[in-house]
Amino acid sequence: MENNELQNAWKNIDGEINRKTTDELDQYLTSKCRKTIHKFIFLISLDVVVCIGLIVFLIITAFNRQGDLIYQTNNLILGAITLTALVVSFFSLKKLQGNRFNLPLKELLEQRIKLLSEWLLGRYSKLYIVLITILVAMIMLSIHVYYEYKPFLEVMSNTESIYGLAAGFTFGLFVSLFAVGKIRKYQLKNLEFLNDLHGQLCNIN
Amino acid sequence: MKSLKEEFLEILSNYQGILHKVSLIYFRNKSDREDNFQEIIYQLWKSFPKLKNKNSIGSWIYAVSINTSLYRLKKQSRIEYREKLPESIDKFDLIEEMTFSETSSKLLNAIYNLSEIDKSIMLLYLEEKSYDEIAEILGISKSNVGVRINRAKEALKQISSHGK
Repeated sequence: MENNELQNAWKNIDGEINRKTTDELDQYLTSKCRKTIHKFIFLISLDVVVCIGLIVFLIITAFNRQGDLIYQTNNLILGAITLTALVVSFFSLKKLQGNRFNLPLKELLEQRIKLLSEWLLGRYSKLYIVLITILVAMIMLSIHVYYEYKPFLEVMSNTESIYGLAAGFTFGLFVSLFAVGKIRKYQLKNLEFLNDLHGQLCNIN
Repeated sequence: MKSLKEEFLEILSNYQGILHKVSLIYFRNKSDREDNFQEIIYQLWKSFPKLKNKNSIGSWIYAVSINTSLYRLKKQSRIEYREKLPESIDKFDLIEEMTFSETSSKLLNAIYNLSEIDKSIMLLYLEEKSYDEIAEILGISKSNVGVRINRAKEALKQISSHGK
């Protein structure tokens, strides 16, 4: 196809497109806004239910173990982490909703690549392994010690309890790391895609 | 006085061809195109209050439409999909869902085979945008735009001559 043929063929395509009426466009916009709001509310609700549920559990169990200082400290730290996670996830979701696509493509790609690279490949990218391990250990301790109906130190000095705790911890850690690993793998694929687009856009050699 | 939404819908109604054409070059499947069309409308609506220069509405719509489509492709991993899809299915899709002339279908099939970035460059070229506008929409230099257009045209000619 020559240049003028290309232009003419394209003009034909333009003429053959079925345009929507203003009412239809309005419906598209309204329905998309509604869907997005529902999705946002669903995610926030899920987040709130899980976090609040955990906090309630931690408070009740801590009240039932008023003399056990180590157990209460464990629950207090866990509660603080859960509350922080709830606030951070709320703001992250809000930020995600506020993403704008009205930037030049190159700028947008660079922004996203930087963000994802820092998270997936940056200096603290492996920190999640340590944090998850600590969190799973603390949650397991809180549940296990509570249902043993004994003080924290007594549970920890019992070999049978330690075996049960180790089994629960290993399973919990495996599930958590597997889930996070899946998310990271998906995001790494996204990063690869963005880098590829950036390369296509900037590489003129 | 018009409300913000009325003003937006009026602009959208006048410029909706851009949204259709961007969706058309990135998505073969009708439902994907519809979803993308709706997503672009939503993204435009989100950034509409921050649109400062009302004289560059066209560029704004192109930028948001292209960026949104590329992000939807990312979500759906369409690159892999495109590479795996047999050519016969591409043509089947187009013929089944749209009623374009033979030349238009040939051009669309050729555009589908370009890289994701070359698709947008070719679209802007075919829409007769100036180098300045293309550079502004994609965020690259004017000289880069020139090189990219020539390459995309060459690739397109090669693909369409292969299809003959």
